Amino acid sequence: MGFFTRLLGYMSFGSSHPLRRLGTYYAVLLIVGFFVFRFVPLLDGLLSGERLARLAQAPSLLQDGLLTGKIQSPEADFTSRLEFATSTAFILLSTLAIMLPVTWVYMSARSGHGHNQSVVQALIVLPMIVAGIVLIVSNSLALAFSLGGVVAAVRFRTNLSDARDVVFIFLAIAVGFAAGVQEITIALMLSIIFNFVLVLIWRYDFGRAVLEPTASAEWAEPLSDLAGKDKSGHKVPDRDLVLALTPKKVEALADRFDRVRSILGPNGKKPRYNAVVSVMTNEISEAQKTVEPALEKVTKRWKLDEVVTNTGKPSELYYIVRTRKSVERDALLTAIRTSGNGTIDSVDVEIGDALAVEAGEERRERKKQEEPA
Amino acid sequence: MRHAWCATSLGLCLLAGSACHNRGSDLAELTRSQTAVARETRLEKALADRNAAVAGKPLARWILPAPLREISGLALTKDGRMLAQGDEIGEIWEIDYRRGILVKHFFIGEAVKGDFEGITVANDVLFLMASSGRISMFHEGANNSHVAYNVVETGLKKDCEFEGIVFDPTINSLVLACKHIHDKDVHDAIVLYRWSLASDTTARLSKVTVSLVDVLRANGWKHFHPSDITIDPETGNYVLIASLEKTLIEMTPAGSVVFARSLPEGHPQAEGVAITKDSILIVSDEATAGPALITLYKWP
Repeated sequence: MGFFTRLLGYMSFGSSHPLRRLGTYYAVLLIVGFFVFRFVPLLDGLLSGERLARLAQAPSLLQDGLLTGKIQSPEADFTSRLEFATSTAFILLSTLAIMLPVTWVYMSARSGHGHNQSVVQALIVLPMIVAGIVLIVSNSLALAFSLGGVVAAVRFRTNLSDARDVVFIFLAIAVGFAAGVQEITIALMLSIIFNFVLVLIWRYDFGRAVLEPTASAEWAEPLSDLAGKDKSGHKVPDRDLVLALTPKKVEALADRFDRVRSILGPNGKKPRYNAVVSVMTNEISEAQKTVEPALEKVTKRWKLDEVVTNTGKPSELYYIVRTRKSVERDALLTAIRTSGNGTIDSVDVEIGDALAVEAGEERRERKKQEEPA
Repeated sequence: MRHAWCATSLGLCLLAGSACHNRGSDLAELTRSQTAVARETRLEKALADRNAAVAGKPLARWILPAPLREISGLALTKDGRMLAQGDEIGEIWEIDYRRGILVKHFFIGEAVKGDFEGITVANDVLFLMASSGRISMFHEGANNSHVAYNVVETGLKKDCEFEGIVFDPTINSLVLACKHIHDKDVHDAIVLYRWSLASDTTARLSKVTVSLVDVLRANGWKHFHPSDITIDPETGNYVLIASLEKTLIEMTPAGSVVFARSLPEGHPQAEGVAITKDSILIVSDEATAGPALITLYKWP
């Protein structure tokens, strides 16, 4: 498998572009197929559908027994059985090789919403089973009816969450049918064209309403502005992440970015604020009057950042503060709570450099322990 | 780099496309092909050769493909086309015996299974006989088609194991050749049953027993088990072959043997016989160690 992955990587010039890698896989498949059919003539009929034609026995020229020096049987019993076994195995393995890239495309295309592992496994196994059934049924109407009876008796049903999953299942059945009637070429072409079309549709977001901006277009810009640019200039590296967000989530995220930026301050400078104090209250003005004097006492500096008024639940007051080293977190919270005189429901504080403080304390303790030694 | 990749892919696709090219051809092309024309010319020349019959030399021999490995009976249509049938499946094949071309095949029903032993054509209706004497009637079908059929039980299963059938137009009857006679009192004889196709005939079935004692003694043969029967279109005589004994007998419809002789070399299991209007004896051999064959001789 590792060798195969390396080979694909080498042949696609190290590209991670899905179209190139798909193209490379199919190119490898075609090369292998070409050599197999070139040097194993009995499999040639599988590619050209010749075996079916032989079944149908379209007009064909018989071998001349007088011109042939020694009359040889075209097929001995063992040979024909060996041929049958080989061709059956080949058909089933071909479906595997043809369906593998389909599963890759399925997993990639559905990664945003989370793909269904059972569908992936079904995509591999289903065409093999279908091919096997078609091989068994062949031209027999009686067998076909029997199969119908058996399937009706088994009664298996699965609800697929997404209509696009059904398309993949249909493809798996189609590939299985094609392989079963020994038309590997059709199966291969189905797989190739389906995959490339699907990747292109996915890539260009085909089918969206042109008057509405896409989710990515709508949110990528504000998000990238918030997140800043990475080294390669990409605004938001994870496109799927953007697509997965709802407008509400994006707004919440933007608020959070703003707050964090305020706390951290401009790059390279010591931040003016290092914590966010959130106060939940039903009486905003009263709470503000009591909390702000308390903050004046226990913090170096503070600033009212945001007031969120809610109906049916407590409103929120957000203060960004610079804590004093002498005032611990618990002391800060107690001071604010006690100042409220019952107007405050709850208080919380998020200290931006709390981890750094904790790390510093740990270092100090370690030093103390090492000094006597 | 991208161009190189595209060019490589395109090249591979073209290569694969050329490998996938279907080499099929239709009947008209085959008939006009150089090989077919050469074969027919050769056959005409061989037919014109006066020594061909004397030497027992085949005019032509065609090797049949695997699906026809159990070829069992031969029949000629009114317009001179040859039909052949396999032993185990109700599948009929048309073979252009002059050019060695497999023209078409069709199935009886859904390729019914059975122990089919002989086929004949009477007034555009085909009759396929099983070893039990059960006869399936149907019309000729197109290539790869399935045709409807009717079955007639002759009720002769207890009397005989049949191997050959032919239509005798002079008496409007099917003639069934018995290979193994269950009646232990009948020895060294050919037993033929006649099944009249005239629906108003009260006694449809009649039996002809031809003693072969003299013939067997004269040729030093122990038995004669017919594997197929046909009619010489020139004389109206019955011609029977026996695969076990590798022999051939011509007899009049009345039951007198005209001649008996061994089959030429190269007939491992002769299961079918037919004689064309242009005096060609066709013998079909089931596959044994080698492939199934059709061999053409000058007749008589």
